[in-house]
Amino acid sequence: MTLAIFVIIAAALSLVAIAGIAVMHSLRISSGTSLPSQIRPLDIESFQNLTDPAEDAYLRWCLPAVELRKVRRARLRALAAYVQAAAKNATVLARMGQVAAASSDAETAAAARRMINEALLVRRNAAFVLLKIFVARAWPDFDLAAVPILDGYNRLSGAAMLLGRLQNPAAPIRISVM
Amino acid sequence: MFQAHSFLWHYLWVAPNLLFAVLATLLWKRGLQKKLRGLFIYAWFQAAQCAVLFPLDHIGAVSSWTYCFIDLMSGVLEFAVVFVLVSDLFAGLFDEYEALAQVGRAMLRWAAGLLLIAAVVLGAFAPVESEHWLVGTLEILQQGMYVIVSGLLLLLFASAAYFSLAWEHRIFGIALGLGISSCVHLATWALEANKVLTEKITMLSMANMATTHIVVLMWFYYLFVPSPSVAKAGEPLADNQLAVWNRELERLLKPRQ
Repeated sequence: MTLAIFVIIAAALSLVAIAGIAVMHSLRISSGTSLPSQIRPLDIESFQNLTDPAEDAYLRWCLPAVELRKVRRARLRALAAYVQAAAKNATVLARMGQVAAASSDAETAAAARRMINEALLVRRNAAFVLLKIFVARAWPDFDLAAVPILDGYNRLSGAAMLLGRLQNPAAPIRISVM
Repeated sequence: MFQAHSFLWHYLWVAPNLLFAVLATLLWKRGLQKKLRGLFIYAWFQAAQCAVLFPLDHIGAVSSWTYCFIDLMSGVLEFAVVFVLVSDLFAGLFDEYEALAQVGRAMLRWAAGLLLIAAVVLGAFAPVESEHWLVGTLEILQQGMYVIVSGLLLLLFASAAYFSLAWEHRIFGIALGLGISSCVHLATWALEANKVLTEKITMLSMANMATTHIVVLMWFYYLFVPSPSVAKAGEPLADNQLAVWNRELERLLKPRQ
């Protein structure tokens, strides 16, 4: 009896989750909300600083252990916020890419597909990095390799820039890449 | 009305399976049998299963043991057919994206393995009467199958939402229908396998059959009515929209001074 109730509750929750995601998907198709406005600007320099192992080594050298743990936790919190923002931007860019992939221009469609793949890689790696950050916050000596997500984000930015240029060649974007 | 062998009971058993046969024929006529291989096999299997079990249920010479044995065997086959359908749905969603194709396959393998363990554990705790062990085994098998299928479909929808993937209209419809159907079937088979509400067993069967009926009608809609988003996706972006896009990209890509 108890087991049956447990399975029924699980089935009901699954049904609600599936229906909820399906409704959200349908609303997303029909809504005309502007995707570019959902992109949050990201300070790449600070992001890079937070993932730099040399910065970590420097802090380890000049701070006492107790202080180092405090600073490291604060840096990890900031890094988690950056990774979440990067993942969110990747989602928006993936959706923008999905619209652009339907373009009749082959070059634009190819650039859009490249951007989608880069965006999905960032989104996928973000989940792993957030998990690592979670572990690192509990275990300060944990080696946190968050650099790949930054590289991925830079590649995604490049792909987005290329697509932006192809979509609107009349108004070239002036971008200072780091 | 809500009794076994009533008109409604007969209708709910036969009508969805006739619709499955029509669906499979239409898929074949429109050349979709290769693209939607999993659904094509599933629809033919459901129609064939009914074509065998329905007459057996009505022939007096067939013992209940024989009927249950054939039902159990067809249940085992159904498990394989449904798994092919679910694998096709995973492939249909993830293989579109180079970055996720491998992730999709790995997720399917690991999740199916973990859900199989969960299904075995749940089955081990279900009571089986020695007198009706065949019926009990069938109920446990069905419960296990729907634990795996509903779990996999939940994972499919959750990962599509996480990665914000664009579903192909038909794949979305098939997955949604199978998701609804598997969750309802899981609840009813859990009641049957754990011998809860045994006096309402016909009602539970009818709830399953009614769900299947609704789902097959849903599939007709998703498979044969054109997607409303197709036209929208092909439209070029408006100039002002592109300007906003480029400005936002510039903000995104240009580091703050």
